[in-house]
Amino acid sequence: MEKLITRRDLLKKTALMAVGGTLLLNRPVNAWAWGTEEGTKSKVVLIRNRQLFAGGNQPDSGIAGQMLDEAVRTLTGKSNTKEAWASIVKPADIVGIKTNVWDKFPTPIVMNDLLKERVLQAGVNETNVSVNDRGVKDDPIFKNATALINVRPMRTHAWSGVGSCIKNYIMFSPQPSSYHDDSCASLAALYELPIVKGKTRLHVLVLFNPLFHHRTPQDASEEYMWKYSGLIVGFDPVAVDSVGLRILQGKRNAFFQEDKPLNPPAKHIELADTRYHLGTADPAKIELVKLGWDEESFV
Amino acid sequence: MRSVCLIILWIMGNASMFASLPEQFPVDSLPEQLGLYRVTDKLNYTGKELYDYINGGAELYLSYGLVSMTGCKYNGDDLPQVTVEIYEMTSAENAFGVYTQGRDKEEYDYGQGSQSFPDFIFFWKDRYFVTVSTQEVIPESEKAIQYMAGLIDKSIPKMGEKPAIINDLPKEDLLPAGFLYFHHYIWLNAYLFIADYNIINIDENCDAVLAKYGEADARSYLLLAAYSDEEKALAACKNLQEKYAPELSVDSPFVELEDKTWFTVWTRGNKLGAIFNAHSQEKTEKLFKSAINKM
Repeated sequence: MEKLITRRDLLKKTALMAVGGTLLLNRPVNAWAWGTEEGTKSKVVLIRNRQLFAGGNQPDSGIAGQMLDEAVRTLTGKSNTKEAWASIVKPADIVGIKTNVWDKFPTPIVMNDLLKERVLQAGVNETNVSVNDRGVKDDPIFKNATALINVRPMRTHAWSGVGSCIKNYIMFSPQPSSYHDDSCASLAALYELPIVKGKTRLHVLVLFNPLFHHRTPQDASEEYMWKYSGLIVGFDPVAVDSVGLRILQGKRNAFFQEDKPLNPPAKHIELADTRYHLGTADPAKIELVKLGWDEESFV
Repeated sequence: MRSVCLIILWIMGNASMFASLPEQFPVDSLPEQLGLYRVTDKLNYTGKELYDYINGGAELYLSYGLVSMTGCKYNGDDLPQVTVEIYEMTSAENAFGVYTQGRDKEEYDYGQGSQSFPDFIFFWKDRYFVTVSTQEVIPESEKAIQYMAGLIDKSIPKMGEKPAIINDLPKEDLLPAGFLYFHHYIWLNAYLFIADYNIINIDENCDAVLAKYGEADARSYLLLAAYSDEEKALAACKNLQEKYAPELSVDSPFVELEDKTWFTVWTRGNKLGAIFNAHSQEKTEKLFKSAINKM
């Protein structure tokens, strides 16, 4: 039976917790491994480039492409970009690129374009690639996909704590609201849907200008975005989200100059690990490779 | 089983949770034309239909008893879009609760409490929570959202009552705009992680408020909850005490935790009080005495 957890349980477990210290899911970082076993680490690559917005408010597509390629090379362990992408998609694949089109804070178009371009360069036929969000259930490419690439921007969310890679698959559900219970605790179950299961080849969490706070559910003010100029890539969506979550929480605490936990906590990320075993959320079990600009990285 | 709740005389009446259902806000009275802007979309969602508009974000409003959301989107040639959203809640208390989710300072430019930014204004008045926003700030759009906020404010004829439970909050050291009113357990962790489940049995018939006291580096949190009857308060108190601080007793009602912060929990009539994260026994006792004297 799943253990119900209180703050006191965590304090007992992490007696070294500093008051006001860095919290993940409003918890001590070293309290993550509830119910998980020791095992191999999930590799996650964080790459940043401070020149990404040097030309203004739009990300430079050339720099974004370089960041993506370097991150994927590092993730796959390939020294050659072509080989790196070839290890992710094969020419025979039917590829759905699951993006996010929320009008106030969508996946940057440059990322959709870059991913599609890389998939085509890997030899996939253009008729076998689709970029979609709200229409994925009716999109013949997604319905017949052999490979999925998951890409979306990182932001706070009024009910699930954050919108990141795990949550991005909610549009594959016949009834998205059926995943809302207990602040979206069961989002990781989306990965068991037949249209999704076992198909995701790459998760890309875009932190070009993450949204670290909102005042109402529909709010995406530039006041609460900052040019982090980063990308997180990985094969484990839970590990990718866990790293992104720590960054967002770090920024919130720095900006507000106090502990400013996400409201509500991003419970679904921890449960993706401990209840659904989709991946690991425990920082101690994540091999985080940081590339590029490191100032105020928050991880 | 050892219940160690501190039971003291109940001296206050129950807060009214739900007023009678309101009449429909006259959204048709919103202007079709607004300077160079004109209405391009009308918004009208009842209850869970709001999922169609904001999917998961709708749950915040539903957790406060949303009746409906009506509004308009305004567009104009080469002008950034202006959006008006009027959330009609089951009571003024609930409209105030939604407001406490987003506000971080006290302003009263519109309605009974508002926050104004160049791109965004939100306020509450009576049983309505209102947001007016623009995609991009230019003089025309900024002026438009200010005008619309003022117009809607004037269109709502009466004021609403704030939840009675907030009157129980001690004023000393309370942060300005530093409290959240709610009656869904998801918001229990709004300021600090307390539990990953409904440890004090909060439901739609329970009024709860979580408040911040003191500076950021020595902050205490006070939780107050008013239940429909004393038994429910006692059960919640017992559960919190047993799960959180089983060593708490009548002789030793203030417990120092592993991180050197202090905790206590008590009931008075149908109300529960709890203090988390206090930085000394003295501070815990002081806040406890202030709180219980107002309960």
